[in-house]
Amino acid sequence: MDRRSFIRKMIIAAAAVSCPAAFSPLAASRAAPAPAPDLAVARGPSPERIVASAIDALGGMKRFVSPGDIVVVKPNMGWDRAPEFGANTHPAVVAALVGLAVEAGAKRVKVFDHTVNDPRRCYRQSGVAAAAEAAGAEVSFVDKRKFKSVRLDGEVLKEWPLYEDILEADKIINVPVAKTHGLSTLTLALKNWMGVMGGGRWRIHQRIHESLVDVARKVKPTLTVLDAVRILTANGPQGGRLEDVKVLDTVIAGTDQVAVDSYGATLFGLRGRDLGYVRIGHETGLGNMNLESLDIRKITL
Amino acid sequence: MRMTSLRWFVQGAFLLLFLFLFLQTESKGEDTLGYPVRFFLDFDPLVFLSTLLSARVLVPGFLLSLLLVVLTIFLGRVFCGWVCPLGTIHNLTGILNRRKRPVLLPGARRWKYLVLLFLLSSSLFTAQVTGFLDPLCLLIRSLTLFLYPLFQNGLEAVFRAAAEAPVSFLAAPAEAFYTLFQRFLFAFREPHFYQAVFTGLFFGLIVGLNLLERRFWCKYLCPLGALLGLLSRKAVLKRSVGEGCTDCGRCQKACQGAAIGGDPRETIPSECLVCFDCDDLCPVGAVRFGFRGGEKGQALHLGRRAVLLSLFSGALTVPFLRVSPQSRSGLFPGKLIRPPGALDEKDFLAHCVRCGECMKVCLTNGLQPTFLEAGLEGLWTPVLVPSVGYCEYRCTLCGQVCPTGAIRPLKREDRKHVKIGTAFIDPGRCLPYAFGIPCLVCEEVCPTEVKSIWFETVRVIGREGREEPVKRPHVDPALCVGCGICEHYCPVRGEPAIRVVSTGESRSKENRLLL
Repeated sequence: MDRRSFIRKMIIAAAAVSCPAAFSPLAASRAAPAPAPDLAVARGPSPERIVASAIDALGGMKRFVSPGDIVVVKPNMGWDRAPEFGANTHPAVVAALVGLAVEAGAKRVKVFDHTVNDPRRCYRQSGVAAAAEAAGAEVSFVDKRKFKSVRLDGEVLKEWPLYEDILEADKIINVPVAKTHGLSTLTLALKNWMGVMGGGRWRIHQRIHESLVDVARKVKPTLTVLDAVRILTANGPQGGRLEDVKVLDTVIAGTDQVAVDSYGATLFGLRGRDLGYVRIGHETGLGNMNLESLDIRKITL
Repeated sequence: MRMTSLRWFVQGAFLLLFLFLFLQTESKGEDTLGYPVRFFLDFDPLVFLSTLLSARVLVPGFLLSLLLVVLTIFLGRVFCGWVCPLGTIHNLTGILNRRKRPVLLPGARRWKYLVLLFLLSSSLFTAQVTGFLDPLCLLIRSLTLFLYPLFQNGLEAVFRAAAEAPVSFLAAPAEAFYTLFQRFLFAFREPHFYQAVFTGLFFGLIVGLNLLERRFWCKYLCPLGALLGLLSRKAVLKRSVGEGCTDCGRCQKACQGAAIGGDPRETIPSECLVCFDCDDLCPVGAVRFGFRGGEKGQALHLGRRAVLLSLFSGALTVPFLRVSPQSRSGLFPGKLIRPPGALDEKDFLAHCVRCGECMKVCLTNGLQPTFLEAGLEGLWTPVLVPSVGYCEYRCTLCGQVCPTGAIRPLKREDRKHVKIGTAFIDPGRCLPYAFGIPCLVCEEVCPTEVKSIWFETVRVIGREGREEPVKRPHVDPALCVGCGICEHYCPVRGEPAIRVVSTGESRSKENRLLL
């Protein structure tokens, strides 16, 4: 069984398990399907399967990707670390999303990251490049020439060079990994946009929360899948010690990047409002951090 | 097939192999390199011999260099004539020289032996200066520091100009070519080197000598040629001239070495490059190359005075090189950050042949050739310049390609314990200290498993009297390995607010910092 057919079967299986109501004669007679939840939180030992079931709970990849789309799947693979250290997005999580996007009819799926460590080592050692390529993605190194200055008109950033592929994509899937971060406490979905920024991007640390919201508002991901298969609880965002890694076997998927990050905070015993960018994102209408008001569907495989 | 055609083919193949290995001296993201990139240097008996004298060690590739020694003893200087990539470059440049007659007196051929004696004498007195003139070191260094960056930066500028040209039809082919070059010929990261111009001028001078006389370098200056010449005095593969010789003198003019003296029937085996040009040229077919042994080798007359002068000046060079304070124990220029695995400075200088392979392979372009940071003796040895590129924490490539062990090959586990320096914060420039502005980039990028940069949250009072919490970084000198990534990414440019110096480097007993 190849990966694609495996994923397809898993989607069907997950659908069958997670929404038994759909199979009741009563439900079948109703024309409108049940509304998709705001967040899907899937937990289980197989990264591919939890990704597939979380996406399925949100209505399936076809809801997000239309045939012929050019899709960017943006992982965090900024560090020269092996997968088990939780510094980069889990390769299987990235590959599963790439596979689903291809399956949904995407014309091209691009995977890249503006890394901090040497790109060659990051792409290779993270395992992401090989996994994404095998799943059908075009993996490329960042080409300096493709950073284009764009107007952000944000709170702090008025104009910044962002990566052309992100600006030109039909659909963007953000797939960050959950980790600690000295300055911003945690790095989750919004922080992952540093990987599409060019220029003197380190300067945004001076007002990191506002800056991240400014960029996130421009990028507008279609879907956000937070990888919490392994989370890094100390010495992030780079890590390097297994004792700092906690295995949660979880992914959190949703269309609201602020809500995803707000949920992500709870994995570390924090609340969304504890993170500046989540609070600011909420206050400025980028998303909703109040988990109590959200429909969160939890799936255990 | 004529022998010269075969020779050109072999020369071309070796030059291409050399350039291929040069291009392969680059990471693909793995921990190790796929090809034996220092292959040519491993075969270099001059590197072997001079390191044996200067550092009293056997270089890792010494068995291969002995192979070349044995080959030369039997076949003569075939390496020079058929293999040496610099020799081939001389051949190619020599085509531009239309002058057929040698410009120097035949006696000039002994210069190279004096150069060799000079170098080996310096080596014996522990200064490793051979790398300046060893043809392979010289070529790899010139390629790395000058020719390759020139090639890439020049072509990139052309492609850029074409892409931005006011006419649009140039953009697509420019992009296609750029992609092609990027994939097969360009370095992953556009290389830039300090000292590029000086190494380039040196190389240009040596290659330019071909305009004066073809293979000038090989005939009169090359110390490796001299060493191989000494070995080939009793070679069994020999040139001989038969009965039909008409004294036309064509072979004398064409000789790539300086092997044919006044009488075209005589051959000086130590000068013969076995290039077969004389064989192919001879209008009457009188020249033969064949295997014959038993003949007595010709004595090499260098002149006693000249020999003594070479030996003495070689020896005297050593204190001359060390007259500057850098070589005094305990005086360490902070900027002299050596690559991880580098030996203690004295030992390091006794090993390093300045081939530049470490600088070629360095992931970040951070390894640069020194100028006088390490004294005159250390000219063109590798130094980490964090503002150009930092030392990648898990990378061990420089030690893998070093031909002499000046940089030890490190196992990944050992790499973590090698400290090449220590980072120091400059509170007058660091944003949280100087202005109360958040930053902490250094802490984020710090690669050690337990971060060597930690922070305290302090409350600072701003201009308006408002109290704000701000995180201030601190370096833990016990954990910091001196990789310089903090300095590299510090948003305070010009003079970064955190800087790495060699203080505390683990290779030195005297440059320690902590108890």
